[in-house]
Amino acid sequence: MSTQTRPVEAGLGGWIGYLVDSALAVPGAYRHALSRRPARTVILTVLIVFGLLYPVLNKEFFQPFNRGSSFPLPFPEDAVVTFMMIFAIMAIGLNIVAGFAGLLDLGYVAFYAFGAYTAAFLASPHFGSVSIVLFSEVFPGFPGIHLPFWILVPLGMLIAGTFGALLGAPTLRLRGDYLAIVTLGFGEIVPVVFKNLSAVTFDLGPIHLVNANLTGGNLGINPIDRPSFFGIGFGASSGIAAVYLGMILLVIAIVIARNLERSRMGRAWMAIREDEVAAEMMGVNPVRTKLLAFALGASFAGMAGVFQSSYQGLTTSDFFQFSTSILVLIMVILGGIGNIWGVIVGAITLVFVDKTFLPYLGQRMAAVSSDLPNPSQFNFLIFGILLVVMMRFRPEGFIPSRQRAAELRHAPPGQAIGSAGTLGDAAVAADERADSIAASQEEAVLAEAEAAATEESAADSSPPDDERPPTTPGDNP
Amino acid sequence: MDQIIQTIIIGLSNGLIFALVALGYTLVYGIIELINFAHGDLFMLGSFIAFVLISLVFKISIATPLPALVLTILIIIAITMLATAVINASIERVAYRPLRNAPKLAPLISAIGMSFVLQNIALLIFGPANKSVDAVLPAVNILAAFGITTITISSEQVFVAVVTIPLLVGLTWFVSKTRQGKAMRATAQDPDTAGLMGVDVNRTIAITFLIGGALAGAAGVVQILYNNTTVWNLGFRFGLNSFTSAVLGGIGNLQGAVLGAMVLGLINAFSDRYLAANWTNAIVFAVLIGILVFKPTGLLGQQLADRA
Repeated sequence: MSTQTRPVEAGLGGWIGYLVDSALAVPGAYRHALSRRPARTVILTVLIVFGLLYPVLNKEFFQPFNRGSSFPLPFPEDAVVTFMMIFAIMAIGLNIVAGFAGLLDLGYVAFYAFGAYTAAFLASPHFGSVSIVLFSEVFPGFPGIHLPFWILVPLGMLIAGTFGALLGAPTLRLRGDYLAIVTLGFGEIVPVVFKNLSAVTFDLGPIHLVNANLTGGNLGINPIDRPSFFGIGFGASSGIAAVYLGMILLVIAIVIARNLERSRMGRAWMAIREDEVAAEMMGVNPVRTKLLAFALGASFAGMAGVFQSSYQGLTTSDFFQFSTSILVLIMVILGGIGNIWGVIVGAITLVFVDKTFLPYLGQRMAAVSSDLPNPSQFNFLIFGILLVVMMRFRPEGFIPSRQRAAELRHAPPGQAIGSAGTLGDAAVAADERADSIAASQEEAVLAEAEAAATEESAADSSPPDDERPPTTPGDNP
Repeated sequence: MDQIIQTIIIGLSNGLIFALVALGYTLVYGIIELINFAHGDLFMLGSFIAFVLISLVFKISIATPLPALVLTILIIIAITMLATAVINASIERVAYRPLRNAPKLAPLISAIGMSFVLQNIALLIFGPANKSVDAVLPAVNILAAFGITTITISSEQVFVAVVTIPLLVGLTWFVSKTRQGKAMRATAQDPDTAGLMGVDVNRTIAITFLIGGALAGAAGVVQILYNNTTVWNLGFRFGLNSFTSAVLGGIGNLQGAVLGAMVLGLINAFSDRYLAANWTNAIVFAVLIGILVFKPTGLLGQQLADRA
C-alpha cells in the first residue's frame, strides 16, 4: 500500500505507534483501492460485511432456509463457522511452511495437538490434586490448573512453535520428499504419545511417577475451561460469541502472516523456495530461515488447537489423525498455495463441504432412497480425487499466488525426469508445457505492466518510464 | 529362549510380507524418485481382491483337497497379481505420468490423493468393518514332524515363505539379468541418457509399476491367507511399515528392501511381544525418522538411485 509509515522504533511504543499508523491508514487505503479496482473492492466489502453479519442473522434468517427443501445450498451453522475459522488459521500456518518456504509438512496436525493439549493441561480440572488459578475467571480453590484463554493462546503458540523448531532442527537439511515423510512420522507419533501416556510409571532421579494419568488416554481431557472474558463465555454453548472470537483470532493470524510475508524473513522464505543455492549465495541462511518457517507455521496450529479445545471443552487424541493434516493441505492447495486469501477461501470452502454440504446431501439422498451411500462417510474420496485433479490441471490453486503459479508450471531442469523420452507423447507434453509457460509469463508481464501503468497514472507524479525493462514474474517485489 | 525364537519366526514371516510391498516402493523410488504413497493401499486392494476370490468365487475352505487347494491358490495369486499390476500401471498413467516434469512434490501430493481414493473405494465396496475368511490352510505345526513342540512354525508361515521367496529371487533375476531389467537400471541411473540410448522411458516406467503392483497383489493374497482378515485402512500403516523397510535397507536397493523388511518385521514382533503393542507404531515411525535423519542412504546404501 502507498501509506507513509514512520520508521519503526523498537519496543512497545513502536508497536503502538505502528498499530495506530496502520489503523489511520485504513480509510485512505480503502479509498485508494476503491478508485483503482472498484469492482473487486465492492465485492470484497460485501463479502466481509456478509461474513461479519452472518452469525447475527444466522439463527433467525438463514437457518430456516435449511429446513425448507426448496433452497439448493444449505447454510452452515454457528459451530461450522467456528470450525471454518479454526481451519483457516491452520491453513494460514501451513501456508507459511508449504506455501512461502516450500517445505511439505504432512504432520501438521501434531502442532494442532500441542495447542489443544496445552489448553487441556493448563485450563482444566485434569490435574485435580493441585489448585493453581492464575488470572482465570474460575473461582479460587477449584481443583486443577487454570490459566485464562488470553494467556493460553500465546503459550500454545510458543509450545507448538518450540516443537516445530525441535522437529525442524535435525530434519530440515533433508530433501523435500524425505522431509515430508519425516513430518508424517512425527504427526503419527504425537497422537500415539498423547493416547498412551495414561498410566505412566516412571522413576528417574528426582522424578517419581506411579501410574500417573498424564494425558487422559483414549478418553482425552474433558472438561476444559471455556474462553471467558469479563464474565462473558465464548464456548460452544454460547453461540455467536464464539464465532466472533474465532474471527478475531483469524484476523490476528492474517495480520501476523501478512507482516511475515512482507518482512525480510518472508522474502528469504521465497528465495529459499525458488532456489536454495542461489539464496544461500545471496547471504540467506537456509537453516535458520527454514527453521523459522517451521516454528512460526507450527505456532499458528498451536493457536488453532488452543481455540479448538477451549471452544469444544474437550480434546482427545482421535482428533489428530493424518487425515486432518491432509485436509489442511488440501485447503492450502485448493485455495492457492502461497496466497493467504486463497488458503482462507480454501479452508472455508472445504469445511463447508465437509461439515455442511455433504451431510445435507446425505439427507437429501436418504430421502430419495435408503440404499444410497452416505456421502459424508466418503468425504475423503472426494478430497482425494480433488488432490489428484488439482495437481494435474491446476497445481497453483483457484486463487493463486502469481509467483507460485509460475514456479509450479515449470520445474528447474534438474528435477525433470524423462523429459527426453522417446515417445512422442512426452515430447508433445513438454511442448505444450513450454507454450503454457511462455503464455503465462507473457500474461504475468502484461499484467505487471498494466498494474504499473495504473499505479503511475493514479499517482500522477513521475512521467511514464517507457524504457523500464519488462520484469519477469519471479522477481517482482 | 523358546519365546525369543518364536518371536523371531513371527517377525521374519511378517517381514517377508513387508518385503513384497517394500520392493514396490523401492522400485518406483529408484526409477522416478517418487514415494508412491498409494502403494500400501494397492496392497490393501490386493487383499480384498483375494478375499473376493477366496470366499465368493472359488469358495475354497479347509475341506478342499490339497492338490485342488494348491492349484486354486496359485490361480488366485495369479489373478490378484494381474489385477493389482494393471491398477498400479493405470494409476501411473493417470496420476503420475502427466506430472513427470512438474516439481517433485507434485506427484507425491497426487499419490497421497490416490491413496485416499483407493481407501475410500474399498470402504465404499466392502464397508468399514473387517472382512475375514475362514482359515484355509491346515493348522499344523511343521516342527512337530521333527519332534519340536515348544516352538511353532505354522503352515501359514511356511506358505508365506513358499510364495514370497521365489518372487524375490525372480525379481532379482529379472532386474539384473534380462534386457528389460537393464533398461530399468539405465532409466533409474539417468532417464535422459537412457532415452537417448534407445530405451523407451515411458514404457520402462510403466513396466516398473506393473511389477511393483504385481508384488503388492501377491502380498495381499499372502496377507489374507496368513492373517485371515483385512480392512479398508490396512494399507496406511502397512504401507508405512513397508516404506520404512525400504528406507531402512537403502531406498532403490532391492536386496536392501528385503533386508530392511526382515529387520522391521523383527522390530515389530519384538515390540509387540516385549514392549506394548500400542507403542509399536510410534517405534516404527521413530526408526523411520532416525534413519532418514542420520543415515538417509540406509543399511546397504542406494544402488539404483544415487542422487541423494
